[in-house]
Amino acid sequence: MFLGTMIYALINSAILALMAIGFNLTFGISGVANFAYGAVYILAAYASWLLLNLTGISFWLAAPIAILLSMAFGAGMYRFVLLRVRGQALSEVIATFGIGLAVLELFNYLGLVGFEYTLPVLIDESFMIADTMVDMQRILIVLMAGLLVAGLWAFTHYTRLGLAFRGIAQDERTALTLGMDSDRIAMLAVSFGCGLAAFAACIVIPLGSISPSEGYEVLIKALAVCIIGGLGSTGGVILASFLIGFAERLTDAYISSHWTMIVSLAAILIVLVIKPSGFFGRQKELEERI
Amino acid sequence: MKTKFFFQSVIVFAVAVSLLAAQPVMSAEPVVIGVPTSLGFLEGKESLKAVEMAVQEINAKGGVTVAGEKRQLVVVSSDIRDAAPGVPVPEALLGIEKIILEKKPTAIVVGPFRSEALTAAMDLLSKYKTPMIGTIAMSPASEKKVKEDPEKYKYVFRNCLNAVYLVKYLAGTMAAINKEFGFTKVYVMHQDVAWARATADLVKSTYFDKAGWEVLDQEAYPTGASDFSSGLMKARSKGAQVIMPIFDMPQSGVLVKQWKSMNVPALMAGFISPLAGSDAWKTFDAKIGGAVNCNFEMGSAIASDQMTKSVDFLKNYKKAYGKEIQAGHGPAPSYESVYILAEAIDRAGSIDPDALVAQLKKTDRIGVTGRVKFDDGQQAVYGFDPTETAVGVVFQWTEDGKRKIVFPDALAEAKIKLPKGLKSAK
Repeated sequence: MFLGTMIYALINSAILALMAIGFNLTFGISGVANFAYGAVYILAAYASWLLLNLTGISFWLAAPIAILLSMAFGAGMYRFVLLRVRGQALSEVIATFGIGLAVLELFNYLGLVGFEYTLPVLIDESFMIADTMVDMQRILIVLMAGLLVAGLWAFTHYTRLGLAFRGIAQDERTALTLGMDSDRIAMLAVSFGCGLAAFAACIVIPLGSISPSEGYEVLIKALAVCIIGGLGSTGGVILASFLIGFAERLTDAYISSHWTMIVSLAAILIVLVIKPSGFFGRQKELEERI
Repeated sequence: MKTKFFFQSVIVFAVAVSLLAAQPVMSAEPVVIGVPTSLGFLEGKESLKAVEMAVQEINAKGGVTVAGEKRQLVVVSSDIRDAAPGVPVPEALLGIEKIILEKKPTAIVVGPFRSEALTAAMDLLSKYKTPMIGTIAMSPASEKKVKEDPEKYKYVFRNCLNAVYLVKYLAGTMAAINKEFGFTKVYVMHQDVAWARATADLVKSTYFDKAGWEVLDQEAYPTGASDFSSGLMKARSKGAQVIMPIFDMPQSGVLVKQWKSMNVPALMAGFISPLAGSDAWKTFDAKIGGAVNCNFEMGSAIASDQMTKSVDFLKNYKKAYGKEIQAGHGPAPSYESVYILAEAIDRAGSIDPDALVAQLKKTDRIGVTGRVKFDDGQQAVYGFDPTETAVGVVFQWTEDGKRKIVFPDALAEAKIKLPKGLKSAK
């Protein structure tokens, strides 16, 4: 039972990390808090579903197309909306939240609601690990979360674009003087963030079903992880994902599932009181020291 | 020239006369039926379609008779979102009040999902004297309010199964499982909402405790929860023979997937809304064989050859919308509620709310769900014989993807079979 709980806590942590990493990437580089993030997650899921069911193409093709469409959506959102309010944090939040709301409610309006809206698992097998049955999809989620984090690290350290991302994230004005186009980089950051949300949707949704209300859940979870870990910090996201992921499953197993939803919210409150910028956040560090 | 002008004048005159003659029929104001519910959820969406289908059928036969005049029915709907996680009850109430004030419906059907919203809305319905036949929210708390103050809350009726009757169906199913296989250890998993809590508590107190069952645990999951692995591991480690789920949220389908993928050696028997419809087999990759599920009302996603109206209802719905009903709760009583309302208007010859309520109380109709009569809490009576009462259905998914009715006995097509790997305790 204990080992089983630990295995599923690890899986839960990987899911949380996958859900949050795109939001964190966008904020860390562009400073844009993309509140349409949950909507993009659902948009990608519906796009995959529609491609699968209307065109009959395989999921292996539908998923990359959905990811690319989501990236295009993110780029468009930045180019046509966010660019005009860039730097005004409140306006950015309102604009992205409004877009997210419109997207999610559009799916409700179109009647894309029902249990049949789900995506197929990649490999339909189950395995016994430490006397606990775990399906292959969950194992893949853990592996892909690990690969994604490693890939992102390599991307931001060893590619020109990745280095430009880091440059803008560290000091936008200095980066500008070196010829980096901060608007282009910010657009790519929003686009990449949306792509990561879509990637998460394509591998997490097969465990459940697609529902517009799930978009709000994903946004809340991503926010919880990023706030606790520290906005913009990849290390913080990973640590917070583990913290919340394990806390949720342990609460399920040893207290009551009734309290599970409160864990992440309580963690946000505690972290905000003790360390307002999260574990590895930097934006308020100076104020905190003072 | 003059002849041409004459003929033109005759044509204009004839058209004008025919338009004037048609005016009394066209000007008769339609009777408005309001559908404020959670339209973003399957049960709400399909219930609204069922209501629209009934309205079309009634209108095709001329509509309802009010003060000797035939009037058409018209449906207005609004999404009150009360089933969505985190939406507060006052927001749902605002939605209901808005539709009452702006669309002025003669009556409301379907109504809120959450019982918390229904009980709070009862005062609004009383204030605006708007009769309602609810078909989704299930807590018996609303009936209690009706019984405590029948004059004030006389406008509230319920046509779907309530939690008390669901308890009878679940208890009946558990008794059949006990008799057939000797199982006595149950693990209860339910959604943390009023009707599901009430149902789980009532099955425990009225059946499990009295029949000698051991309730190993009773886990409540918040609406929106999507990982049930811990609960399933606990069920396995505690030696559960039966898992009784009670959920109506879309995410509850994950529970079935996890139950199957984790090979938990226990019979899944209860209510999980995503299991109700025919599409579930495909949705869950043909991995739900053996699961026993209660569809709350006959006609909601399942029909019995013994009840032809239920077969016709599902057939006509598919013909009208090109898709089978998938919700095991809501559509059939929603469809019936329009007929109940129309018959009450015809009997009253009026749309006065008090006259309408008086006639609704006298309802005795055999329809899709069986025989509908309201008790003193204005709840449709549910039982096990469709000629006497309305009925629900308990069915089992077979290993080849069919749904076989296993309870009540009067409608049963097969006996419960254990899924592979699970042995009888007898």
